[in-house]
Formats: sequence, C-alpha cells, structure tokens
Amino acid sequence: MSKILVVEDDSFLQGLEVGKLKKEGYDVITASTGKEALEKIKEDGIDLILLDLVLPNFDGFEVLKEIRENEKTKKTPVLVFSNLSEEKDIKKAEDLKANDFMVKSNFTIDELAQKIKAILG
Amino acid sequence: MSEELEKLKIENEELKKQNSVKSDLISISAHQLRTSLSALKWILKMFLDKDIGPITNEQESFINKAYISNERMIALVNDMLTLNHAEEIALSFKFEKVDLVKLVEEITFEFSGESSKKHIELIFLRPDADVLEISCDREMIRVVFQNLIENAMKYSNDGDKVILSMQQRNDNVEISVRDTGIGITDDEKSKIFEKFFRADNAKEKDPVGSGLGLFTSKNIVEHHKGKIWFDSNEKSGTTFYLSLPILKASDTI
Repeated sequence: MSKILVVEDDSFLQGLEVGKLKKEGYDVITASTGKEALEKIKEDGIDLILLDLVLPNFDGFEVLKEIRENEKTKKTPVLVFSNLSEEKDIKKAEDLKANDFMVKSNFTIDELAQKIKAILG
Repeated sequence: MSEELEKLKIENEELKKQNSVKSDLISISAHQLRTSLSALKWILKMFLDKDIGPITNEQESFINKAYISNERMIALVNDMLTLNHAEEIALSFKFEKVDLVKLVEEITFEFSGESSKKHIELIFLRPDADVLEISCDREMIRVVFQNLIENAMKYSNDGDKVILSMQQRNDNVEISVRDTGIGITDDEKSKIFEKFFRADNAKEKDPVGSGLGLFTSKNIVEHHKGKIWFDSNEKSGTTFYLSLPILKASDTI
C-alpha cells in the first residue's frame, strides 16, 4: 500500500482529499501547517507528497526545499496542489524540483486521484 | 521645469504603488475564492458521479446546473488573474525579438491534443515568404493567440477546421484565425471586445466563459501598437485578424 503525505491547511479540502485517497486504497498521513509538514517528512516510507503552498508558519516552498534536502524524501515525488498559479510561483516550484503543479480549482478530486495513480504507477 | 518634472516623477511613483496594492488585493482575493470554488466543484462532482449515493434525474439536472455555474466562476477567476497579471506587467512589458512563425507553430502544437479531442483540425498555413522578427512580449502575445484559438475551437462544430495564416504586409505582420463556427450576429458585433461581454449564441454553445478573453487580447495588442479586428457572418463563421508592427525595441516604450 503506497503511503501519501497530504499537506493542506484548509480542513474541509483536506477532509475531501483524504477521504478520496483512502477510498482509493492509499495509506494517508496529513499535515495542516508548514511546521507539521516538516515533522511528518521525517517518517519512513512516504511514496508521494501532495503539497499546498499557502500554509501557516512555513510556506510550501520552504517545505519543498526541506523535502529535497531531507535524506528520506529527497527523491519522493511531490505534487504541488495549490491555488497559486502565477508564472513566478510555478517556476519557483519547478526550480525546487516539484514533479508537477496543479491548480486546485481546475481539477476534480477524481482527476487528482488519477494523477497520483499515474505517478505511483 | 525641473521642479515640474520632479513632481511628475513622484506622482508617477505613487500611482505605481497604488496599482501594485490593487493588484495584490485582486491576486489574494482570487486565490482565496479558488479555495471555496474548489470545494464546491469537488462536492458537486461527487454528487454527479453518484459517489454519495443515487440521485434522481431532476436532482442531477439541478446539480449539473450548479456545477456549470461554478465552472463559470472558476473561469472568471482564472481570467481575472490573467488580466491582473497583464495589467501588472503592462507597466513593464518585456520586449524581445520574436520569430512569430515559430511561436505560432509552438502554440498550435500545444493545442493539438485539445483539437483532436474536439475533432477539430487546427491548421497553420505558413507564410510563403520570410516574415521579419517582431519586437513583442512573447508571453503576452502567446496569451492573445491562445485566446483566439481557444475561441475559434470553442465556437466551431464537430469536424470543422480552424485555419491560421500569416503574412508580412509592409511594416506589419498580419495573422488571421479563421473558423467556420457559429459566427457573431450583427447586433452584437460592436460589443465583442467589451469587458465581460458574451454573445448570446456563445453562451448557448458554451456556458463556461468570462467575457474577458477578447478584452484582454485587445489590450495586449494595443500595448504593442497593433490592431485586432474581425469579419463574421452568423452561422458561417468568424475570422479574427491581428496586425503587429515590426518595430525596433526602442520604439515601443
């Protein structure tokens, strides 16, 4: 069973994401703040990280930077799932080696699950 | 005289500051709106997919209307952000030498997936003779082409062709995007570039759309000292024309 870390500060959206991913058979752990995300990435066996960018205390870019520096997660696929969409944000995420960038409101939760399935194979 | 100039400079700085506060505000609220819109979209979709259980046909038809209405709002927010971005960088357009033939080839390639999905043939007729490079903001001109191609495909019928062509006319490069779709009625021709305007037959064909695409395109083209216009007949289609001057970078700002 693949393990996914969902980083999302909006509890309502997080609930929908987690519900869907559990239904798809994934093991899901969550973080609601940047600080919490920095703790959770120390866990073993994370196969994919779904990462929001606008987060309390540490933002998603800082979390992403740490993900890439952390021994355990430096090669873990990171799917940025945010409501930011400006070129400078997309470029920044790319520079920090995010694997993909999706704008939340442009996808349904099913399409998100399909994307994750495609990455995890 | 120099005092006057100094005063103007200060005023100009102040205006720039105000404009930047305004665009930050738009940007923040648009991103906040997207959070709620996403939640609505996801939940309505779950109902429509019957993830939450069976619904009656009548319920389905209403939920579908709500979903489409929400999609319109999402499109509006997306366009608002594009427009905001365009206004923001209009103050500092980045002009560079651009090979338009190459740019249009790139864009038509990017649309190939979507056009085949919609069974529309997207064709770019390359110019016979060489076309000089123009000085423009590549990303902004890309937005214009994207809008025109998207519209042409959106308002075409299954199996139609959308044809782009390009040629140099004196000191301008002229590009046309031709479709054989629903066309624009005579009554509505004068409003087509207005902010938020959508023609009746356009709304009928595609309820999702904000009415900002052509408005934004016109703004961008005019910032390049270019022209945009169209020819259209109801039911037989529309051709949009774009003329961009071949200028030296120093002439444009």
